[in-house]
Amino acid sequence: MRLEKCWFCSSTVYPGHGIQFVRNDAKVFRFCRSKCHKNFKMKRNPRKVKWTKAYRSLHGKDMTQDSTFEFERKRNRPERYDRNVTEQTLKAIPLITKIRHERQKKHITNRLADVL
Amino acid sequence: MATRIQFENNCEIGVFSKLTNAYCLVAIGGSENFYSVFESELTDVIPVVKTSIGGTRIIGRLCVGNKNGLLLPHTTTDQELQHLRNCLPDQVVVQRIDERLSALGNCIACNDHVALTHPDLDKATEELIADVLGVEVFRQTIAGNILVGSYCAFSNRGGLVHPHTSIEDLDELSTLLQVPLVAGTVNRGSEVIAAGMTVNDWTAFCGSDTTATELSVIESVFKLRESQPAAIVDDMRKSLIDSYV
Repeated sequence: MRLEKCWFCSSTVYPGHGIQFVRNDAKVFRFCRSKCHKNFKMKRNPRKVKWTKAYRSLHGKDMTQDSTFEFERKRNRPERYDRNVTEQTLKAIPLITKIRHERQKKHITNRLADVL
Repeated sequence: MATRIQFENNCEIGVFSKLTNAYCLVAIGGSENFYSVFESELTDVIPVVKTSIGGTRIIGRLCVGNKNGLLLPHTTTDQELQHLRNCLPDQVVVQRIDERLSALGNCIACNDHVALTHPDLDKATEELIADVLGVEVFRQTIAGNILVGSYCAFSNRGGLVHPHTSIEDLDELSTLLQVPLVAGTVNRGSEVIAAGMTVNDWTAFCGSDTTATELSVIESVFKLRESQPAAIVDDMRKSLIDSYV
């Protein structure tokens, strides 16, 4: 089981949700709900649709570059299982999420403060 | 020494297993028969690992590897990737690649030094193959067929290719791969060599439909015959193989 990102809005697609579309060139498109799927079928560009993460990242509304995003990168070369490393990773995950949320909030407050 | 086996009554061994010099991957079958044949031959020599790839049993055709590394398609789940990494020795690099042609076993044929690939493979994938498997990569076709991984099986000591390969092609491939090649069949005339058998430097496993003639051709081209009266071997060789590159 793997938590994928919706191709249109970039939210996480949990098991049992959404639709996967496989195009003839073998590219897979995952959607979290029919809203995103229908927008895709209308050939809308997510970078121009205001409520998607793609738009928000592109226009600097949301934080893009941060070291906390590096932890979620997909890895193609695994490491041998080590119990200690796994234990520490599991302990670290909620801490990293908390830090990431704090930084995202900070980014938005800074942006709004600059506007005023 | 070549052995005849079946996977759940099916003779296409190369589809359900992957044999290299450093490890052996076996599909998860209904009974333990398939696994136990590999185990009885290979237990103390190399690790025999039961696995699935992307939840499927056709592992032989989806992955490609040699003693240096193992390449897996993007359909491999994270759990399977971790399982393989845990079971295989550390010197084998396990890598998952993003490639449109995901049946790597059909597109790439390799031994420890050279690899033949599908002519339409991505450049990035080709570089990854050269890096992970430590091989020289050649884009080739076999008997006009682009799926090189399925129509030939070769090890460091010899190779068997599609029966309709012309003599010129055979010569060319032989000089590229630096091993003697023979055009032959497996499993009573099946042309899909790599699906019907799996081979490494000292053993080979074929489907149970393989005739005695095919088996002796395999044993001689892959140099699996250990000690036999030389006369018998020579006689058989003369009657069975007409062009030995």
